[in-house]
Amino acid sequence: MKNIEVNALSKNFKDLTAVDKVSFDVNKSEIFGFLGPNGAGKTTTISMLCTLLKPSAGTALVGGYDIISDPGNVRREIGIVFQDTTLDERLTARENLTFHGELYGMPRAEIGERADALLARVGLTARAGDPVAVFSGGMRRRLELARGLMHKPAVLFLDEPTIGLDPQSRRNLWDYARSLRDSEGVTIFLSTHYMDEAEACDRIAVIDYGEIIALDTPAAHKSALGGDVVSVTGPDLEVLSSEIAQTFDIDPRIENEKVEFNIQQGANFIPTLLDKLEQSVDSVSLRNPTLDDVFVSLTGHQIRDGDISTTEKMRNVQRQGWGRRH
Amino acid sequence: MDIPILGKNARVSDKKIAGMHFLNVVRVVWLREILIYFRDRPRVISAFMMPIVMLILFGEGLGGIIELPGISYRQFIFPGMVAMIVLMNSIFAGVTIVTDRQFGFLREMLVAPVSRTAIAVAKIFGGATIALINGVVLFAFAPLMGIDISFLIVVKLMGLILLVGFMLTGIGVSIGSRLRTPESFQMLSQAIIFPAMFLSGVFFPVNNTAKWLDFFVQFNPITYAVAPIREIGLGNELEKVQPEVAASLINIQAFGHTFTILEELGVVVGFSLLMLWLAVRGVRNAS
Repeated sequence: MKNIEVNALSKNFKDLTAVDKVSFDVNKSEIFGFLGPNGAGKTTTISMLCTLLKPSAGTALVGGYDIISDPGNVRREIGIVFQDTTLDERLTARENLTFHGELYGMPRAEIGERADALLARVGLTARAGDPVAVFSGGMRRRLELARGLMHKPAVLFLDEPTIGLDPQSRRNLWDYARSLRDSEGVTIFLSTHYMDEAEACDRIAVIDYGEIIALDTPAAHKSALGGDVVSVTGPDLEVLSSEIAQTFDIDPRIENEKVEFNIQQGANFIPTLLDKLEQSVDSVSLRNPTLDDVFVSLTGHQIRDGDISTTEKMRNVQRQGWGRRH
Repeated sequence: MDIPILGKNARVSDKKIAGMHFLNVVRVVWLREILIYFRDRPRVISAFMMPIVMLILFGEGLGGIIELPGISYRQFIFPGMVAMIVLMNSIFAGVTIVTDRQFGFLREMLVAPVSRTAIAVAKIFGGATIALINGVVLFAFAPLMGIDISFLIVVKLMGLILLVGFMLTGIGVSIGSRLRTPESFQMLSQAIIFPAMFLSGVFFPVNNTAKWLDFFVQFNPITYAVAPIREIGLGNELEKVQPEVAASLINIQAFGHTFTILEELGVVVGFSLLMLWLAVRGVRNAS
């Protein structure tokens, strides 16, 4: 069963094409990752799927409802954790949840019960009555996750959910996301520019300049690269590279002061390599390909580490300013 | 603990359920406006500071200098002070939509399955309520200004303040939903509040002003909000003076016509609906 079906979705801002005829499906109970650098069109796509932004062309069904003709029902089916925090800092943690429940028309009795249960699940019970203004980044994220789940959405959108989180909070968030999928069958759509995060998804769409350039499981992405990565160093890399190319009929590249190439069963290949090479070699190393390698081979460039937006910077400053007063 | 996450919510298909949801959204969004108002200490403190400042300025300062026929300036200015308090608090209440946008909370509301009209209506009622709270504080100072104020007058004034507050917060939300920073909202609302206040008969009877000023006064919707507040607020005092004198103090002559209180309220209601329409459009386009 499919929970998201996207068909040639596009968004233009004046002469900029932010999202260019993107098509994909997301299955029920799947963790689907959108991997790409900042500005690749991830947030724009999520905004369209969440009915906050009108597409310039194309269609999409979310939870079985059309995002253009039936946004009301789409909104009822989805929960969202935005890239920037969207909590009300003047309300307490619990009030943020109960307000959300009211907006989604939940029965009064259920709102209180569910808010308490979710607060317990994200470990915020002891802070339920504190205003969000005094919360750390990790606590805010957990609260937002709880809020996104208040109304039992079928699809949960997470836009760069772990940006600005410490490693422990990131791990917790991931454990929680996985348990959601496994025990409740929630479909999770997340965007990220962290490779290790993409690694944990069931399937990943690599997006760059508004287009999906590959879509597969992390393992399939890596095996598509053609095996393990072997790196060789020596006194003269150019000569080394051309000798490897001629002797073994492979296409090595020179990167970071190393000659690198992909080959199946690299461990078995190394003895042959050293045996046949006439050039002197300083070191040989072997590693499994990472999604970084996948991204570089697909796009021809490294993923750019994202700048945080100006608004987010200002918010952080203001947050600190308010924090001091408490 | 295991919490069921999946589960379909009841479909809102029935018109009656949808209507109830609309009212419930208005209620919770309104409640939040009031809650965050009371949590903002400086805003609450200013509700008590402003009347005291005005009391000194108008009661003791100008009150001793300016002379009017029939009643004292202190008495005349009291309903004007009410109008000023309502004006400032209502329009300024529109800032919450700017800060909601800036801190992302507006998106939380817009991505929920709620009517944009409900959000706009709730915000406007929220501002009107805050204006009412501030106005009521001022009533306590009425005896100090030499005003004989009855329970009935207070009740009428409260209703009037809600109506006028609705119109003025409508202006605030219409502007706020189209701006991105609280700073620009502050500047723009000041630029509107001050001229609108001076050209509305808050400080002096409008019929006494120069002809060219009259031109602006009659096009100022706030003129039609100030006049009923004065007519009702001074109710007991005006009964003590000659009818012609009373009329000269409270009547608006505009477009060659002397407005009755019902006509004035008609203008206020009409302008309120226009502002509501603009505010709903603003919220709808705010994402």
